[in-house]
Amino acid sequence: MNAIDASEHHERVDESVPPSLLAIVLDTNPHAWAHLSSTLPLATALANILVFINAHLASGNANSVAVIASHSNKSCFLYPTPAPSSPRPQPNATNGDVDMNGTTETTSYSVQDNPNKYRPFANVETAILNNFAKLMEGTKESHLEATPTTLIGGALSLALSFIAKATLLHSPSTSNSDEAMLAIADPEAIHTSYVSLASRILIVSVSGDLANQYIPVMNSIFAAQRKRIPIDILKLAGDTVLLQQASDATGGVYMKPERPEGLLQYLMMAFLPDPTARKSLVMPSAGGVDFRAACFCHRKVVDIGYVCSVCLSIFCSHDLPDNLCLTCGSYLSLRAAQSNPPALIPRKKKKKKRAGADSATPGGSTPAGSNTPMHA
Amino acid sequence: MSGSDYSGSEYSGSDDEYVGPRGGGSNAAAARRMVEAQQQQAKKAERKAQAWERRRDDSSEEEEYVPTFEEVEDTDVPEKSIQQMEEERKRKRLRKDTKPFQRGIIRHVVLVLDLSEAMLEKDMRPTRFHAMIQYAQEYVREFFEQNPISQMSVLGMHDGLCLRVSELSGNPADHITAIQGLRTPKNPQDFSKEPKGSPSLQNALELARATLYHTPSHGTREVIIVFGSLLSLDPGDIHQTIKDCVRDRVRVSVIGMSARLKICTEIVSRTNAGDESEYVVATDQELLRELLLATTTPPVVRTSKSAQAVASPESAAALMMMGFPSRVVEDTPTMCACHGILTTGGYTCSRCSTKVCSLPITCPSCQLTLLLSTHLARSYHHLFPLRNWAEVHWQRAREKGTKACLACLTPFPEPPPPDDTHREKDTNGHGVNGGMNRFVEQAQMDWDESGEQKASESSRYECRACESHFCIDCDMFCHIVLHNCPGCLSKADPPDRRTGEEMEITP
Repeated sequence: MNAIDASEHHERVDESVPPSLLAIVLDTNPHAWAHLSSTLPLATALANILVFINAHLASGNANSVAVIASHSNKSCFLYPTPAPSSPRPQPNATNGDVDMNGTTETTSYSVQDNPNKYRPFANVETAILNNFAKLMEGTKESHLEATPTTLIGGALSLALSFIAKATLLHSPSTSNSDEAMLAIADPEAIHTSYVSLASRILIVSVSGDLANQYIPVMNSIFAAQRKRIPIDILKLAGDTVLLQQASDATGGVYMKPERPEGLLQYLMMAFLPDPTARKSLVMPSAGGVDFRAACFCHRKVVDIGYVCSVCLSIFCSHDLPDNLCLTCGSYLSLRAAQSNPPALIPRKKKKKKRAGADSATPGGSTPAGSNTPMHA
Repeated sequence: MSGSDYSGSEYSGSDDEYVGPRGGGSNAAAARRMVEAQQQQAKKAERKAQAWERRRDDSSEEEEYVPTFEEVEDTDVPEKSIQQMEEERKRKRLRKDTKPFQRGIIRHVVLVLDLSEAMLEKDMRPTRFHAMIQYAQEYVREFFEQNPISQMSVLGMHDGLCLRVSELSGNPADHITAIQGLRTPKNPQDFSKEPKGSPSLQNALELARATLYHTPSHGTREVIIVFGSLLSLDPGDIHQTIKDCVRDRVRVSVIGMSARLKICTEIVSRTNAGDESEYVVATDQELLRELLLATTTPPVVRTSKSAQAVASPESAAALMMMGFPSRVVEDTPTMCACHGILTTGGYTCSRCSTKVCSLPITCPSCQLTLLLSTHLARSYHHLFPLRNWAEVHWQRAREKGTKACLACLTPFPEPPPPDDTHREKDTNGHGVNGGMNRFVEQAQMDWDESGEQKASESSRYECRACESHFCIDCDMFCHIVLHNCPGCLSKADPPDRRTGEEMEITP
């Protein structure tokens, strides 16, 4: 209890470069990689990404990495290895050892003892390769036939949650119980004072159409924007406006390389600098991003659209069948939306009107507004 | 301060009313769980004591360790309850109601700040006035984050009059500078509006009503009053003003301080069709912030209100004409129509080609609403909210066998061995099945998601759709920031209620 001292943790300002957490979302959609197999097979791409991860880990002692696979039937962590849940009720399971978060893979997977390899690199590499093999083994043909797309929304959500938690753990305030009590007393003071973990997300994307996950991906983009997490996009194949919007809205890098076989060079040159270093570099960006909306009825890109006030669906024309919204079915009238803006009536006329129609304009009999200051 | 105690109890009272008859049930469940937890705790202590006893038999002379051990036990108990307290406090912020109601997405809100001398009270730090100014800025930012196509105006009740702090507009920066200007005026000839005199609710309501008078009928008309004083000095009959507000569909929410007032109760219940839950009292600074931020969620559109509106069908829903402009990139700076300053680049109005510098905005020359499709997307999570996650009991945790949070991989505490107090009760006969049935019953009671959200005894929270388990931090993050369930989205064919709409809505 003696540790509750407001001055203490405000002085704890770290001047060093903040540790950086890189979350890589790897799109492992088998359909799309099959298209790429002539130029860049998935195995080569994975090897390149492992080199990139090592480079990231090597550029700072406290740097960490998380790899999430966005597969066609599920999205899951490749690194760190998630603890497998045992869905059987275990009678008398009285072991006291709790699996710690980053250390499980060293015990459960055999790290080949190569004396020429830096141990942390080997750990990450083995874990990723093992989990990736498991993911591929678990993919059935029925999964592939079910959908040609990938679950990028889920992978992004996992990445964001992981980063959010890592940021919380990184902050020195919530670690012990004294400060937990302090957090009850004054939570916002805690949240403002910690040195933040610089995190970013890199999506290596190969899938094209992601429109069926519009809402989850949009929600993820807004969450990233709020938490100031840049989303970098490396688009090896396919094209989607959604991911362009993601990098544009969050201030990330968007790259669509002409030659995918040069993956490692693109990764090293464009995506290795962390947010601190990017301030002094000229980063590639997507240029003009199309933010125009497409209507829900004909998928036409519209300049002027008509929006349902209940469900915010966009339509390209105002004569809907029976004036009913196509999405939510509520009765819509165009006339109601076109209310006239308040007309500026000359003062003389206004006085006459006030005298004539009482309570037509509210605020007539009160002194309110008599000395309202002009809006600066 | 006796007043604050009184209002505190009143607040919780009104909260229960909101929850309705279910409140009692979940409270009982909570009480039962508490008792069970205590029993478990006692049981654990007993077991450990026995183990200790055995050890003491082995080594006879170490009797001075006994009090040390008890101390450890003592500090353990409050620490756990502190953690639970904190989790409960966090979960309080979750929305109580996650049913997809029709919500008023397009809002017109007048925020009325009390600038009367009651705001000089120092029960909030440094004063109520400063706390309110600080939270109001935060509120404006959060409001436009949540409601990008809404409009807001800020008024101030100062020395008997009601001042217009900022005009009705959709630009958060304008409001924030205006609110900051209350403390430190930009113009030297403007005097700062330090709290002075008495407030007048009538003047505030009249000016707010005038501000909202011309707003289109498909949007909401809301007045949110932060009211620190315990009196209202009105020039006329406030009941007439209330009647006018009801007629003009203005909904008033009041966030009081220190105590409840009859007149505020009346204003709120009359303008909200008899619902008094919009009148809340902040007993401390933190509660004030939470209550204020709670109003950033769009209000549910009332059925009784639409029943009234049958007479005029226009007031229901409308098809709004909106422009989706494209960005222009220019080498030479040109004048923007919204501020009259030279800027390079911006957006041109789809109808009249006027250049504006930021979106969303109403075109200054042709009054067309201009925005991006992303602004509309920002409101979708209100329309398709993420359902609250359920607390997980030890038994359920054991059944699912989850070891770590699905989203952040933080390990969960290991479930205690299953020979618990309630297991002993139904060991005779079909022990496991009986236990499961009991669990299912209890779970269904607790899965009642509209009730108050409580802390889970096993530190796990379960998504009702995908049955994944998450930790408290991911629970908060997913419901407050992300609005996605990582579990549901990580499965190919999730039992997700949104899939229908997802197919419909594309960029």
